[in-house]
Amino acid sequence: MTAKRTASFCLAALAALAVLPAAAAAQTPPAPVAGAPGLRYEIWVELDPAAKMLLGREEIVWTNPTRDAVPDMLLHLYWNAFKNEASAFMREAAAEAGDRAAVDPQDDGWGWIDVTDIRLADGSDLKPAFAYVNPDGPETAGDQTVARVLFPTPVRPGESVRLRIEFKAKAPRTVARSGYYKDSFFLGQWYPKPGVYEEGKGWNCHAYHRSSEFFADFADFVVHITVPKGYVVGSSGKAGESRADDSARTTTTTYRQAMVHDFAWMADPRYLKIERDFIADREVTASEYRETADLLGLPVEEVRLPDVKMTLLIAPEHKGQIERHFRALRAAIKYYGLWYGPYPYETVTMVDPPYRTGSGGMEYPTLFTAGTRVLANRDVLDPEGVIVHEFGHGYWYGLAANNEFEAAWLDEGFNTYSTGRVMARAYGPGAIPLVFKGIPLSSVLRVPKIFDFETSRVAAIHAVRTDPVTAWSWEFFDSMSYSMNVYMRAATLLGTLENLLGDPLWSRIMRTYHMRFRFRHPTKADFVAVVNEISGRDMTWFFDELLEGTQAFDYGVESLASVEVPARLRGVFDKDGAREVWTDEKIEVVEDAAAKSPGSGPPARSYRTTVALKRYGEARLGGDAKVEVVVRFADGSAETRTWDGRDRWTRLEFVKPVKAVSAQIDPRGVWLIDENLANNSRSTDGLRRNVVKLMTRFLFGVQCVLQFFGSWS
Amino acid sequence: MGIFKAISGGLGTTFRKPRLVVILYVVNLAFALAAAAPFLAIVQKELGHSLAGLSVQPVDPMWIGEAVLGYGRAFPALLAGFVVLGLLYLVLHVFLNGGIVGRLLDREAPASLAAFSADCGRLFWRYVRLFLLSLVFYALTLGVVLKLVSVLFRPISDGAVTEWTPLILSNIHLLIALLLLSVVHMIVDYARIAVVADEERRVLKALRHALTFLKARFFRAWALYLLLVLGTLAGAAVFYAVLKPLGAPGVGLVVAGFFWMQIYVVFRIWTRTLFIAAQAEFYRSHPY
Repeated sequence: MTAKRTASFCLAALAALAVLPAAAAAQTPPAPVAGAPGLRYEIWVELDPAAKMLLGREEIVWTNPTRDAVPDMLLHLYWNAFKNEASAFMREAAAEAGDRAAVDPQDDGWGWIDVTDIRLADGSDLKPAFAYVNPDGPETAGDQTVARVLFPTPVRPGESVRLRIEFKAKAPRTVARSGYYKDSFFLGQWYPKPGVYEEGKGWNCHAYHRSSEFFADFADFVVHITVPKGYVVGSSGKAGESRADDSARTTTTTYRQAMVHDFAWMADPRYLKIERDFIADREVTASEYRETADLLGLPVEEVRLPDVKMTLLIAPEHKGQIERHFRALRAAIKYYGLWYGPYPYETVTMVDPPYRTGSGGMEYPTLFTAGTRVLANRDVLDPEGVIVHEFGHGYWYGLAANNEFEAAWLDEGFNTYSTGRVMARAYGPGAIPLVFKGIPLSSVLRVPKIFDFETSRVAAIHAVRTDPVTAWSWEFFDSMSYSMNVYMRAATLLGTLENLLGDPLWSRIMRTYHMRFRFRHPTKADFVAVVNEISGRDMTWFFDELLEGTQAFDYGVESLASVEVPARLRGVFDKDGAREVWTDEKIEVVEDAAAKSPGSGPPARSYRTTVALKRYGEARLGGDAKVEVVVRFADGSAETRTWDGRDRWTRLEFVKPVKAVSAQIDPRGVWLIDENLANNSRSTDGLRRNVVKLMTRFLFGVQCVLQFFGSWS
Repeated sequence: MGIFKAISGGLGTTFRKPRLVVILYVVNLAFALAAAAPFLAIVQKELGHSLAGLSVQPVDPMWIGEAVLGYGRAFPALLAGFVVLGLLYLVLHVFLNGGIVGRLLDREAPASLAAFSADCGRLFWRYVRLFLLSLVFYALTLGVVLKLVSVLFRPISDGAVTEWTPLILSNIHLLIALLLLSVVHMIVDYARIAVVADEERRVLKALRHALTFLKARFFRAWALYLLLVLGTLAGAAVFYAVLKPLGAPGVGLVVAGFFWMQIYVVFRIWTRTLFIAAQAEFYRSHPY
């Protein structure tokens, strides 16, 4: 597909969107995986396990999709991040840890990639015009993860350029989810890969940073992988023809995949390879299709899922967990498919990461790595959570392919949020993992079970003051702030938005956003636009205040008091031109007399309840958002009011014949991002059963710890 | 004397002197209340009048997260205070050990508070020296012997092809550590007993008595010690099995749970006295 055709396709899609009702989701039908418009790779690569080397040849065809004349190309050479201590990756890792050995590849463990030859298809040698560059500024001087190659003549709009590259790459010893351990290999980001050309801006091609992932254009891949005989290979894409070379004792297999933006593979001689089918009609019932279609406002046909070939590569010692892996993958394919759109590829490959390759929990298009232990607790949803999450990246990053360098939250946050939803639906809460010396203790010690959104919220409230969610990956304070903001805080904010907008609006927003930006590179502005469009509300404030900001969100009940409203007021009053003095004694006498008069009962009492609400945090509500307050009274009645929350505080008053028993702000728990839920309510009675229980358990814990101290005497 | 007879004799002694357990329990509870007070105050302040107090769980990650956020800055100070109290408790226990061992070895005499206090004072400095000496043993065990075991295991672990190898080695390492610690604990226990039983003022000599005693019957003595450990673990298992149903909602169950936990604390304290009493029986049945 040319640049012109891409534009036409987009315009057609937008036109289709415009004529359908705004509140219906997924107006754009699933895009067929027909082939990438502007980029094609064909790679021949051979693994030399003894030398830990890859020897490769690569042909890249790039078509200029813009109106710019492009004079050069920037290429990622990611493995040079592991080449020496001058790389941005190594320097940032050492700076954060305050220790140069923070990433220590040990002895021969350094990794690197060399472009040994680079030419145009006509044979023109580009190597003299090939040089390392530092697009992220002088701070990354010495880094060799980005190289620039200058073309003899600029590539004009719509024109294609065909590059032939020869490269040698040395696998690192387990750094950043790529590398080897003994004869096991996991190989991600292993080949020279162009950046993304942005019209008017040039190449978007960042250095490989400590806290950053990737960004690339959709492409068609044909990869011929040669490994020693006996090696089991798992790879992105669909395996095609395979041929053995008996003299060289190697096997070469060709893998193909259209419309993906990366390609990873693994090789290990011990691995088990198991294939299963996701058969949509077995996994999804007719009523589930109907419910989903109704929720999204779409015809049932549009939410139907295709079958998918699932492949698992697993270490023999994890054989007992094969079913756990497939069950989780089936749940992920089902729910991501129903909620966001059908999985568009024929295959998905799930890799149990080879031992000590440090490659667990990583996503690549149509392939991802999971991660488990030999002794895995059933209550701890460890491999399941990772499987759902990494498969989910096939949607958030794989299909809606945001720039992970510049807006990592758009995939990590969306996917952490989505993982939580799938896990809650498919499994319920999971036990907190507790492992001692490799022995799982969660069941024995009965640790609590919690939902993902709860874990995310705890991280989110701790991360909020450090960085905005939207910072560029390597500009976070540290990798902890990066993770907690980009994954957990973003997920918590999406959960808050879900609560705020409610279904079916929210489901339609997510579906529309995903389908509209499938096979594209969405930005924050794109998502905000979809939210505003589908909800019909201007929610821009939410993103500005809570994603861009670093201010805590905390609304609470400061005080609750109910006092009797006196039947008469004390003091000096003017009455009929005279002065009347009302004292306590006089009031008592009058009330007694009234009570004794025939036919009268006890005086009717009334109480004035005052509830003071406070905004403890700096972040404030905006737009038409309001926070709800419910006050409950002794007779079982309740009153609900709302507060726009702009000011620091407000006071609500109620006059009722009974006292209030409690006041609660946000009783439905909409504001998941609120950092203190304990102050969201106040009741007039004190100590509660669960509080006493907590205290007694804590005291007991302290007694046991003291006994431990005493036992060393 | 056989080890079962020693245990039986020890049981008899501890049952005759319940006051010892009461004294130790009161000390434990008082220290625990002092150490826990700031944390309990935080719980009361945050949850005492909040509806969140209706649903909070004994281990509640959501609320713990909020508490850490709200009081995180005070935590180092609170923790330091807790550690200081723990160390004071340790020193106090060195003092109380005199009373425990003194009264348990004086079989027929009652464990009056006066006699207990007198023993605490009389034996304090000897037990302080013994405690300092025991630190050397612990350091040797944990620092040298276990380090040596680690060095031996490392090449195997580093060359592992699957997780099983380091997992098994790591657990063997832990088992060795626990067994070695039990041996050191046992040696120190017998040295404490020797100080009183042999009226020995010099702790090095008492330690030599203990080592000589153990040299002649190490495995029987160790079996006795490990049997007592097993009994303690069995008690802990029963405790946790009963605690589970007591975790269900209900005011009565909360109260029952509290008392059950206190019974377990008393049990733990009692087992501590049983260790001394049974080992003392065993020591005295084989005069040095």
